[in-house]
Amino acid sequence: MNSNAIKKPLLIVAGLIAIAVVISSCASTAPTCVAPQSKNLSAAIGTAQSSLLEGCHAHFDRYYDDLLTIAEGDPKPENKREFSQFLVWSTDKGLLSNRQAEDYYNRFFNVKFMSLKGDYNNCSHTCPNKQKVLFDMERELSEKERGLLKVSLDNEGYYRADQLYQEVELVLEATCTACSASR
Amino acid sequence: MNTTARILIPVLLVSVATLTAHTTLANTPTIRLFPTTVVEDLRQTGNVARDMETGLQEVIGRLDQQQELYHESKCDGAEDDSGCQRLARQIGASYLDMLTIMEERLPDMEHTVNNTRLSLEKGLRNELGRKMTPWTLQETLIGSDANKAVTKSSPTLRGRSGMRLSERFNQYYQLVATSGGKGDQSLAVLASDIYLDMEETSLLIQRTRQEIARATLMEQLNQSFGIITPEMIEVVGGVKSILFGDEQGQALVAGPPPGSIEQAYRSPLEQ
Repeated sequence: MNSNAIKKPLLIVAGLIAIAVVISSCASTAPTCVAPQSKNLSAAIGTAQSSLLEGCHAHFDRYYDDLLTIAEGDPKPENKREFSQFLVWSTDKGLLSNRQAEDYYNRFFNVKFMSLKGDYNNCSHTCPNKQKVLFDMERELSEKERGLLKVSLDNEGYYRADQLYQEVELVLEATCTACSASR
Repeated sequence: MNTTARILIPVLLVSVATLTAHTTLANTPTIRLFPTTVVEDLRQTGNVARDMETGLQEVIGRLDQQQELYHESKCDGAEDDSGCQRLARQIGASYLDMLTIMEERLPDMEHTVNNTRLSLEKGLRNELGRKMTPWTLQETLIGSDANKAVTKSSPTLRGRSGMRLSERFNQYYQLVATSGGKGDQSLAVLASDIYLDMEETSLLIQRTRQEIARATLMEQLNQSFGIITPEMIEVVGGVKSILFGDEQGQALVAGPPPGSIEQAYRSPLEQ
């Protein structure tokens, strides 16, 4: 009886120690997911790729943002290709779906607005949500400013996107007025 | 802008619309935003507007001369002088002529503007509203040259208010002149712009017709006393600035940011 009474607390203590050891060992092997330190985009992409493969894929958004910031420090047209290749690599490794990769690329580096994706006609779907659509477009335009203008030096592309935004705003205003006038 | 003065906006709008009609006929767009009914409505509205414009220009020219004579005769502050009173009555009579021309022409104008508006409305609703998704609309607007450099001759968006008439006319003309080979993307913007202008114009005509009745009554009363009211001078000034232009009212058109870089790269991810 006595020996059992002594053994029981010992077992509890041993169990707790074992759990603590397991937890601490897990903590020591978890990825640190630090931001790329290099100011060179290619090198930074390499670092990001390693980190993403080592379990940091949940931080993809942050890595993409870090890479954009690094690219802003050395803007040039070739950066577009670097980002495209990085995103294609991400889909190859199963970190992103094709659709996600397209979204990441086009929001920043294409003139067209991903905010205008939709399968229903304008009268039935776009017009009732016109304000939200325009708000999303405005936000995307600032991403294009970053990707096209600040990262890729694609002034013409950014100007066209800005013009497209204004045209969509005007045409939607007229179209939605016409739709709502329907009796 | 003065309500009575603003009535002249439709005049130029419709003249511009007539030009647009000719151009769009030549373009033969694949989206039917300017069917023959719209073109005919625009032509008719243009004729009505031109008649009104011509009549108003003649009256305004006369008013100009009379006002000049009034000032040269140092009638400001000498309203009791019989000669000045006679001049003031003549100015008032010309002012009444101006209001009468507007009153006579406005119902026709209202009718044709509404026809044009309704035709464009139908086209926009069917072609852009019901047949297109937001993505196809975007592709129509951007055309096939999404990644090409924007040329300097590309049409630019125009504001729909606060612009003097001659400037608006000039901008529409430029738009029409440079959008010849551009296809649907320019037409969609053009149709939208004209439609929204017509909406605004239609409301303005309604309000102006109400205002003219009041202004005519007031001026008929003033005729008995030979008074030039500040309102009259303001209205005539507004009409003149719209017809003959105002340098301060020039519209600003944004230019592209500096620099031009050849964009050869096309990502496989690009949509």
